[in-house]
Amino acid sequence: MAKALLTLISKEVKELLRDPKILLGIIVMPLILFPAMGSAIRVSQRSVSRAVRRMAIAVYNEDGGPASQELIAFLSKDNEVSIIEAENLDEALRRFMEVDSSILLYIPDGYSEKMASGERCMLRLYAHLRRLNMAETGKASSVEQLLMIYGEECSLKRIRRILEEAGEELQPEAVRRPISISYASIMRGVVLDIPPQAIFGVIMSQNLMLPVMIMMMNVFAIQMAATSIALEKEQKTLETLMTLPVGRMTILAGKLCGSILIAIAGAISYMIGFSYYMKSTLGFIPQLTMETLREAGFRLSPLGLALLGAVIFLTLLLSLASSLSIAVFAEDVRSAQSLVGLIYIPMMIPFIILMFTDVDMLPGGLRWLMLIIPYTHAVIASKAIFLDRYIPVLTAVTYMTIFTLTILHITTRIFSTERIITARIRRWRIGRRGD
Amino acid sequence: MRAVEVEGLIKRFGDFEALRGCSFNVEEGEVFGLIGPNGAGKTTTLRIIATLLKPTGGVAKVFGLDVERRADEVRQVISYLPEEAGAYRNLSGEEYLRFIASLYSEDVEEMVEEGGRISGLGERLRDRVKTYSRGMVRRLLLAGALMVSPRLAILDEPTSGLDVIYAYEVRRLIKDYAEERGTTILLSSHNMLEVEYLCDRVALIDGGVIIEEGSPGELKESYGAENLEEVFMEATGRG
Repeated sequence: MAKALLTLISKEVKELLRDPKILLGIIVMPLILFPAMGSAIRVSQRSVSRAVRRMAIAVYNEDGGPASQELIAFLSKDNEVSIIEAENLDEALRRFMEVDSSILLYIPDGYSEKMASGERCMLRLYAHLRRLNMAETGKASSVEQLLMIYGEECSLKRIRRILEEAGEELQPEAVRRPISISYASIMRGVVLDIPPQAIFGVIMSQNLMLPVMIMMMNVFAIQMAATSIALEKEQKTLETLMTLPVGRMTILAGKLCGSILIAIAGAISYMIGFSYYMKSTLGFIPQLTMETLREAGFRLSPLGLALLGAVIFLTLLLSLASSLSIAVFAEDVRSAQSLVGLIYIPMMIPFIILMFTDVDMLPGGLRWLMLIIPYTHAVIASKAIFLDRYIPVLTAVTYMTIFTLTILHITTRIFSTERIITARIRRWRIGRRGD
Repeated sequence: MRAVEVEGLIKRFGDFEALRGCSFNVEEGEVFGLIGPNGAGKTTTLRIIATLLKPTGGVAKVFGLDVERRADEVRQVISYLPEEAGAYRNLSGEEYLRFIASLYSEDVEEMVEEGGRISGLGERLRDRVKTYSRGMVRRLLLAGALMVSPRLAILDEPTSGLDVIYAYEVRRLIKDYAEERGTTILLSSHNMLEVEYLCDRVALIDGGVIIEEGSPGELKESYGAENLEEVFMEATGRG
């Protein structure tokens, strides 16, 4: 039995891996595609940040007073400031369009006077959108931020002067912002000096990554299993296989194991590529938050890890068994791949919906519908494991086990009857004859 | 001991009745041919004996083992070559033979060597099956079916789709193997001349029932015919 199983698994893996479509599409492509996408995004982000770091700012100073000179000196510290000489704003704008800079700061007449008298001053920024890229809009918001910082400094200076004149011994910062807020979060009874948004970021990254990983692995597994059985029909090897001196359960187990191995290889390849992509494009979670969370015990316990493994295994087994029992009815690989598309619908819906909400927050009918779908329980369990809530996890594992065993029973029945030989469903034809 | 006993075999696919009480016996060590036109019920009969299909009625036994109730044991003593069979395209010929041999015996290498000899594919065994011609695939499959030394080899249209030269080679191969090993062979064909050349005894099947059974010589004599084709036409009233 064990030798026969190993022989069958070895044959399955060789057959699938040597199929160029599978090797390229499932193993090689994610390793090339995602890093290439990540690198492209990183290169463009770097070029944007380089462009924003030392900006070329054009200034049309209609005011010419001391306050405007002070503002220009502030901007000149870290940027290339070029002064536009013109008779009026229209001429200044015409000249601005001829120079290399994409940002023009217009300081209107009376700016210095208003600053001196403590009135509110209006400055105007013109962004010249030549190429409509991120760097151009990034520059506009960077200049705006610089002006806000400068405005803050001016405000504090003014408050300090007023306080001195009034003989008050108050902190200008406290006068300007009398309330300051620092966040703490309570999770699993532990108080953490981390804002809830930061924790949400970490949890979201896990909530996002884990279901995505599970979902991708399942997609690969479904494809593998469907291809594996359909190839037997397409290559007309199934009849010979079914008359070999090996049990139908062993043949089924060989197909399940072979498909699992290729699916895992595909998922690893996908995750390597995807994590490189995520690192290239995001990497926004502060290291300190991660370390504080780890120190506070927010990591998977051995029990949690085991349960997570069980959930992933059950999900995979369920997908494979469903895929095999459906693909058996197909005549060839293309028909099989079309048919197993039926499994994607109940699989993707819970993964997508539960990424953003909880099942308890859904309206009654939809909630029950979601709870019938076994994949819903995989997502519920993977979330609950991270929060050490084991009762929903065990409920999910129990439900998924029952569901998977039922599907496996159906698949075994199909494998042990003649339906595996006689069932024939052709690929659904889309389009009209002659199109 | 009888290698195959078929008694009143019935097989229905929905409303269509493929077999309508088919009965015949195959003695151990003989080459037995099931002959008839397309749609006569040859493949259905062989598929039932090979445990792929379950009969709707009647009994089929292989060396006394009921094909429906003791299918696992039947599979231990048979090998089956389907009419439109293929081999795993991404395996080499040698890997295919090794895969089959691993499921039958501990002495895999000896079996693979025998398979290589039967196939006559030589160095081409190292190439992937997808590079083989139809005739080469058929020879590989036949080698896979015979190298395992089955007690009963079931060959459904063994020369189906082959050109004259390949068909001749395959017939020669089966004849030599049967003579050397004394293995029981049950084959089907719509080529009466092929069956006459290969078989010790034949059964004529038409419309899902056996209409005549005997050695080619006996049948020809009893119908006063020159060959089995004429016998078939006479026996079915088409002559």
